[in-house]
Amino acid sequence: MISASNLSVRLSDKPVLHGVSVEARAGELTAIVGPNGSGKTTTLKAIAGEVAYDGTVRINGHDIAALKPWELALKRAVLPQSTVISFPFTVREIVRMGLSIGGTAGAAQTDRIAQEALEAVDLTGFSGRFYQELSGGEQQRVQMARVLCQIWEPVTSGEPSFLLLDEPVSSLDIRHQLTIMRLARDFCSRGGGVIAIMHDLNLTAMFADRMIMMKTGRVHAAGSPQEVMTDEIMEAVFGCAMRVNVTPHGTVPFVLPHTAAH
Amino acid sequence: MSRSDTMMADGHGAGFFVRLRSDWLSGDRSRLARLLIGVLVLVTAIMFCASIMTGAADASLSNVMRGVLGLNDIEQVLSVRDRIIILDIRLPRAVLGLMVGASLAVSGVVMQGLFRNPLADPGLVGVSSGASLGAVLMIVLGSSVFGPLFAVFGFYTLPVAAFFGGLATTLLLYRIATRSGQTSVATMLLAGIALGALAGAVTGVLIFVADDKQLRDLTFWGLGSLAGANWTKIVAAGPIILLSLAVVPFLARGLNALTLGEAAAFHMGIPVQRVKNIAIVSVAAATGASVAVSGGIGFVGIVVPHVLRLVIGPDHRYLLPASALLGGTLLIFADMIARTIVPPAELPIGIITAFAGAPFFLWILLRGRSHMDL
Repeated sequence: MISASNLSVRLSDKPVLHGVSVEARAGELTAIVGPNGSGKTTTLKAIAGEVAYDGTVRINGHDIAALKPWELALKRAVLPQSTVISFPFTVREIVRMGLSIGGTAGAAQTDRIAQEALEAVDLTGFSGRFYQELSGGEQQRVQMARVLCQIWEPVTSGEPSFLLLDEPVSSLDIRHQLTIMRLARDFCSRGGGVIAIMHDLNLTAMFADRMIMMKTGRVHAAGSPQEVMTDEIMEAVFGCAMRVNVTPHGTVPFVLPHTAAH
Repeated sequence: MSRSDTMMADGHGAGFFVRLRSDWLSGDRSRLARLLIGVLVLVTAIMFCASIMTGAADASLSNVMRGVLGLNDIEQVLSVRDRIIILDIRLPRAVLGLMVGASLAVSGVVMQGLFRNPLADPGLVGVSSGASLGAVLMIVLGSSVFGPLFAVFGFYTLPVAAFFGGLATTLLLYRIATRSGQTSVATMLLAGIALGALAGAVTGVLIFVADDKQLRDLTFWGLGSLAGANWTKIVAAGPIILLSLAVVPFLARGLNALTLGEAAAFHMGIPVQRVKNIAIVSVAAATGASVAVSGGIGFVGIVVPHVLRLVIGPDHRYLLPASALLGGTLLIFADMIARTIVPPAELPIGIITAFAGAPFFLWILLRGRSHMDL
């Protein structure tokens, strides 16, 4: 389990997070949603150990402040929003960079993992392509494959591992949005945990077990998508009145921008 | 049986190229890289021998090799004059060329990895100027202000001074160009120009106040060539260069991860700050030592890594050793041209590397304009 309690972060002297507490259990997909600038990415960066924060972040009970970078890298992998690379790496070389971190497996096994990671993000046959020549969505999926290579097993020696994904589907077409979300779901069902920052509320409602709604550096609401996606919360957080609906034969809430009242 | 052996051998030969081809298609350049490093070792050895044999005085390869390796009694094989020419002039020159070339190319690779940009080069962004300033400071103010230092460091004083000059410039440049883990290429290049100009101006003032003897020292030192190569210089700069060359392979994985950005490298388990510190100190040490013994030789650090990246890719595990070899070879080759093109005079080697390197640099700029965020 990842538990972040009472996180406060200042970026260049401006307070960005005010006492944010987030819990993400193994086996669950936890989605962080909220308007632009509400502190979603900063929260994820604090959990990843990337920015200085007040408060505590624990992964499976270990305080991350006490862990070395390489110890942390075996417990969680992080997908950044977008990655610009100015050197001509091939897709294979990028994906294998993730592998070289845990690197105790043999050559045959690492080859297999890299191959399967590319298959998982629907990039079979792309290994010889140059990263710089791919489209934004393809680059994002290459990074996803690299992240998967870093944490290939959802559970290692009895401890769950975590994927921290910052807008994993932001540049993807609808088919690959589903591919990546199913991948994340599958990682959870095999015992790992996922925290994902999301913008698409409907996609989030379909796949997330828990939704954390942020507003101006604070957690506004947290719970199941049914609990969080309500007319009142939508209006309070996004400042526009919208009708939340429910799919005909299920319990998954959805919201259409068409219903926004001005 | 002999026929099947031949066939098998052929099969192996063809199989190797087939494998290289399928490697290339699947984006795996590690086999190619190892092959190239092997070839470069051979080429470097040949170039080294050629350099020892080339020059006004002739001496046959076998005599030289026997003399150098000490297989024959050296006094029988080589005349005293040849011996001096080969052992005290050409050999140190080739050794120095190899070391300086390797350290320039490797400094380029590390600097480019650190700044995550193929245009970073110690010569271009003012690190060499800073190192020069350190050395000039030592020559001009050395005896009066830094007298005690000479007593402590002996002939290491000049390389050490150049090292600190280079270190100060690199740290300053990194501070200016990198904000919260992101390096601005434009800021880096422009700040490099400013720092280089500033170091040049201070150097100018020092030259202005220098007395006659110091001026002579400065002129000799600043020729920017391997012409003054001797064993003393090798002993002075060699350990520093070899030490930094020995350290950088340990940075390879960190530099690879850094190409994805500092945050991503940290996520992947790299101790980013430590990698950066070691990288900065090694670049400053290698550049400082090179500048101290050979003045400013430009463009090796940018051309060599760039050409190699086109062939074997940017993986630093292979790029670092390959760059060291190709840098050493190229500098020895440029030095051979420098001392044979206008006999009996010598062209400063910096002129040759600039003639080859500057147009190449422009070509990189034009080619990469679209995706190098310029």
